[in-house]
Amino acid sequence: MHQVSFEVPQGSVFGVLGPNGSGKTTLLGIVMDVLKASDGTYSWFGEPPSEKHRQQIGTLLETPNFYHYLSGEQNLRIAAAIKGKGEGDIPRVLEMVNLSERKHSKFSTYSLGMKQRLAIASCLLGNPSVLVFDEPTNGLDPVGIAETREMIKRLAKEGKTIILASHLLDEVEKVCTHVAILRRGELLMAGDVNEVLTNEDFIELGAGATALEALRSALSSLPNVRQLKVQEEHIQLYAENGAVDPAAVNRHCFEKGIVLTHLQLRKKSLETKFMELTDDQQAKPGRR
Amino acid sequence: MLKLLRIEWLKVKNYRAFWILLAMSILCIPGLNYLLFDLMDNSFPKGKGKAIVGSPFAFPDAWQTISFNSTLTFILPAILIITLTTNEFTYKTHRQNVIDGWSRQQFIGVKLVELVLLSLLSTFVVFLTALAFGCVGNKVAPGQSIWPDVRFVFFFFVQMLSYSMIAFLLAMLVKRAGLAIGAFLIYMLAENILVGVLRNVYKLNGVDYLPEEVTDRLIPQPYLRKVLQSADDVTRWEHHLPIYLGIAALYLIIYCVFTSRRFTTSDL
Repeated sequence: MHQVSFEVPQGSVFGVLGPNGSGKTTLLGIVMDVLKASDGTYSWFGEPPSEKHRQQIGTLLETPNFYHYLSGEQNLRIAAAIKGKGEGDIPRVLEMVNLSERKHSKFSTYSLGMKQRLAIASCLLGNPSVLVFDEPTNGLDPVGIAETREMIKRLAKEGKTIILASHLLDEVEKVCTHVAILRRGELLMAGDVNEVLTNEDFIELGAGATALEALRSALSSLPNVRQLKVQEEHIQLYAENGAVDPAAVNRHCFEKGIVLTHLQLRKKSLETKFMELTDDQQAKPGRR
Repeated sequence: MLKLLRIEWLKVKNYRAFWILLAMSILCIPGLNYLLFDLMDNSFPKGKGKAIVGSPFAFPDAWQTISFNSTLTFILPAILIITLTTNEFTYKTHRQNVIDGWSRQQFIGVKLVELVLLSLLSTFVVFLTALAFGCVGNKVAPGQSIWPDVRFVFFFFVQMLSYSMIAFLLAMLVKRAGLAIGAFLIYMLAENILVGVLRNVYKLNGVDYLPEEVTDRLIPQPYLRKVLQSADDVTRWEHHLPIYLGIAALYLIIYCVFTSRRFTTSDL
């Protein structure tokens, strides 16, 4: 990691994004004290980190780590004891991840999805206010993925702070309020998801295939136009400061004698944004 | 610490391999001693054995004999220690324990306490076995004290703890059960060969203070002492005893510091 610095606001769902090998798990490993950083500091709950803080955080880091020869329930007893929580919460968390029926089965007999769900159950023990999930939908089937997303949304609504590391941008986009984007151990961007994407809003316009050139000409006379991307049937308009006003654009076109058949304000998907950011970085000389 | 030990108990109480290895470690102490006793008893014509080898299983020699014989079973608790330690690395539960809220010091600290407890348990079994052989197997003469030389049981504890620490250290370094057990066996063998060669060929007395040898020297072999050991040997041993104990303690401190530092400073 190099020069990575950001703050996770209380109650946010904070996405840590990056391709494989970008440093997401390393970053979380450092703040969970399983990896030693050569330099730098971090704090939990505004205090210097200690094991007491980790007991108040539900963490799923990389892979589910449990004793293979013990049952799911016996493994959760160990986790609860380490966290200093009572065993009374175990049935609730097992129920939340639909593992109650297999709680007496040995961990070694679990499928990959069941192991992942047990790890999520372990995170939820004691109802912690902060949750750290590293690729939480790894190994889950489509139903499991949807259930996990719903659960994360539900937990977020309860006011919990969730740090979610994933290379599945779609997953992060659907649930996160904040993002940090990493590449090769460096922080490319961090902040409110709307701020990060704010100047990436664009308007997609159409006036029929025959009027496309006239539309392009009309739009180019608009003030603050940064870029016009002509596509097969539509034109994408990017404004200079990111602030695009669909009403003003519509009025301008009408005054130029063009009747729009299509007008849509669109946000650039996180994936597109991410690809652009990482492409920019690759394009810089001397990066390799 | 009791809380930490309770959690360690949760890890092993439903682990069949733990109970099998523990039972073997414990039962082999009286078992091996009985085997050797029986072997000696049947190796000589009736009534002649005592004249040749003395009464190593009767008091006061029983303490030394039983302690010495029991050190031959060290490989079993070593396998138990290596299995329990490397399991944590295999399942990556050492990471999870820290993630869930143990400090690294707590993780390593409770493991070291477990080694002491296992050594104490083995020592207690050695004590009971020696009592059984000394009192039940052989008549105690009226007025004879059974306690002289009970210190050998303490020496067994020091030796057991030392071997346990070596096994633990290897498990922490190698992290794979098979490799660590192999390394432990090779180390036990290699140091013995090295000591033999350096002492007999190169006449180096410093080899007495190597990690394994220095604890081995706490309990000299008890058989045929009248034939194999002179009064000078016994006096020299008595004289060196505090040095052996001191160096053994120093090694124990080094093992503790090294394993703790390694675990607390490296990536998990």
